[in-house]
Amino acid sequence: MADLQDDLHTATELGELDDLPESLPEPLPESVPAEPYAPVADPGTSPLERAHAILGVHPVADGYNGLPWALRHLPWYDLELGESAVDTDVPRLREGHVGALLWSLHLPEGLDGDRAVGATLEQLDLVKTVVRAYPEGLRLAYTAGQITDVRHCGRVSVLLGPAGAAALGDSLGILRSLHALGLRALTLTGATWASEAGLTRFGEEVLREMNRLGVVADLSGASADTVRRVFAVSKAPALCTRSAARALRPHPANLPDDLLAELGEAKGLCMVPLTAEQTGPTVRDVADHLDHVRRVAGAECVGVSGTFDAGTAHPQELGDASCYPHLIAELLRRGWPEADIALLTWGNVQRVLRSADFTARAAQLRREPSTAKIADLDG
Amino acid sequence: MTSPSLAEARELLREFPVVDGHNDLPWALREQVRYDLDARDLAGHQNAHLHTDIPRLREGGVGAQYWSVYVRSDLPDAVPATLEQIDCVRQLLARHPQDLRQALTAADMEAARAEGRIASLMGAEGGHSIANSLGTLRGLYALGVRYLTLTHNDNVAWADSATDEPGVGGLSAFGREVVREMNREGMLVDLSHVAATTMRDALDTSSAPVIFSHSSSRAVCDHPRNIPDDVLERLPANGGMAMVTFVPKFVLQAAVDWTAAADENMRAHGFHHLATTAEAMKVHRAFEERTPRPVATVSTVADHLDHMREVAGIDHLGIGGDYDGTAFTPDGLNDVSGYPNLIAELLDRGWSTSDLAKLTWQNAVRVLGAAEDVARDLQATRGPSCATIESLDG
Repeated sequence: MADLQDDLHTATELGELDDLPESLPEPLPESVPAEPYAPVADPGTSPLERAHAILGVHPVADGYNGLPWALRHLPWYDLELGESAVDTDVPRLREGHVGALLWSLHLPEGLDGDRAVGATLEQLDLVKTVVRAYPEGLRLAYTAGQITDVRHCGRVSVLLGPAGAAALGDSLGILRSLHALGLRALTLTGATWASEAGLTRFGEEVLREMNRLGVVADLSGASADTVRRVFAVSKAPALCTRSAARALRPHPANLPDDLLAELGEAKGLCMVPLTAEQTGPTVRDVADHLDHVRRVAGAECVGVSGTFDAGTAHPQELGDASCYPHLIAELLRRGWPEADIALLTWGNVQRVLRSADFTARAAQLRREPSTAKIADLDG
Repeated sequence: MTSPSLAEARELLREFPVVDGHNDLPWALREQVRYDLDARDLAGHQNAHLHTDIPRLREGGVGAQYWSVYVRSDLPDAVPATLEQIDCVRQLLARHPQDLRQALTAADMEAARAEGRIASLMGAEGGHSIANSLGTLRGLYALGVRYLTLTHNDNVAWADSATDEPGVGGLSAFGREVVREMNREGMLVDLSHVAATTMRDALDTSSAPVIFSHSSSRAVCDHPRNIPDDVLERLPANGGMAMVTFVPKFVLQAAVDWTAAADENMRAHGFHHLATTAEAMKVHRAFEERTPRPVATVSTVADHLDHMREVAGIDHLGIGGDYDGTAFTPDGLNDVSGYPNLIAELLDRGWSTSDLAKLTWQNAVRVLGAAEDVARDLQATRGPSCATIESLDG
């Protein structure tokens, strides 16, 4: 695994900070001039045909999939030929033009206490075992660059995460070990340092260490105070892996308009889940949420999460991983420009992951691994 | 004590440096400074606090070190703590890239030797670190852990310890599955600390060479932490190795007896024998004043090696000092700079340079490489085990 390779960066001594190595990456310009978008679909064809054409070039990067826990209790399954016991398998991922997806490591209630760290290790192991068992369909990817490589190989990228905050056992050393095992997203809820009251001092240190490593913060379900604090402190954009618009549907994980606007300013990413509970029972309901988030947060800040195999009911026609063309067709009917759809499905997730990689590389040149302890900071 | 062979020993170690099977530096850093590595900069001498630092590793001719990621077996959070220990080793590697090189394979060890860096491997000390889970075992492997000692001082649910009451009588069915899964991953089975029954069960089960990361000979010094001859005799067939340890209370009979008497004295005064409260220490010091502590020497350790060589053969020996994991060390082997004294002693006893190259370097590299070969074969025939302790041990 690339992360285990011996990296030979020399520690920068205090006092030598003015003499940083030449390899320090150039800071990104404030705004990268957008390349003109070249349309790929024939405007004369039906919305569904256009959706397929666009997704063929700009596949879906799906923000949340609950397959690991679902598979854990299946005695036998075949993801390669198709598995009716779950909503996600390789044929349906292909049919739905899914190019990358995050596999959730969240644990069910009751496992988020003392056992959380060990159970998370087991989840990581399970995901690796499953992905390696289907090398023709799935590949593990750890960075935006690897996702691109995997796509060029015609495979679907699997990213490890999000895990729940409890998986850290309140220790930055454990965060670093989980990152070394491939964890790339962490949900900032369910720990004393990331609660209704917001982030504690240790919570902020966790976030800074996540930035240094390249672990993306997931804010779905986090309190408004936590969300705001993350936007203020984080050097890299944050995700909401499962959040729709609260203005349209009052669910606690949905974001109110003021937070959506702040997310837009922070260039975060709100990934709307395809769940009846959070978005409503029809494709049009989901499209309403996407319209709303795009309007309030911006086209660069909206994405989708299938949320399949996570134990929730889905809107009609959006019941499994093959459904995305229906959703995109609906957006085309509503007049979404192709360029915005390309951002929604693929471009925005790539931006967030690239940003996380870049932030980590820059931070590692400036910052040593944090030795902070929760007892010192939160006492 | 300076042997005339010392210069020759140092010369030999330049070509075939020591692979040490067990060093508890990460635990010492956790206990002393809670991993504040600035407070114990290993680039300089840390004689006042530690047995181990880079200048002394260099002086001692160490070319590879299995850092123990030990955690206590009597606390509930073994898995999280083990991950912190692993993180500590990774921090050490990141801080000392000129001196330490991460090694995950036998080839990495050779590469480190060629570069003049110290190959750094990890070993987990006790089955409690995997919390009855093969998924967690594989996670530790993925993080770089290359051996698991099946128990520490206490039994685990699936294996008996040498220093606990008999439990499952060696390895349980799940315990044997743990060994098989370690074989499949390429993680060495470490039989230090385990009961003789567990040693025999593991040898019956393992298809890869086993190690004793830090154990000496029970025939020379009768202590349960040492290896009985019937087990040593099986190492040639298995291909594994016994890495002799220096801990005085395991290698010197007088020290074994003294420790037993000291423990008895503590209990007679109403303390636990490991108590370190002020009153307990006072009782302990009074005992030590009345009864001077016997001191082991280089020669004590060489006696073990001579015997183990007779029983197991030269191809099955190594060294596992247990530095920073023991309060006392033998004279001449006081810290990690001491290995040349042991090599000099063995030269004086007539060990040849090719024998010593096996002892210090070649056997350990061969054993890790053999475990990799077995793993490659097994992975071609079977997938990861999804057995649970409930399904096998009921």
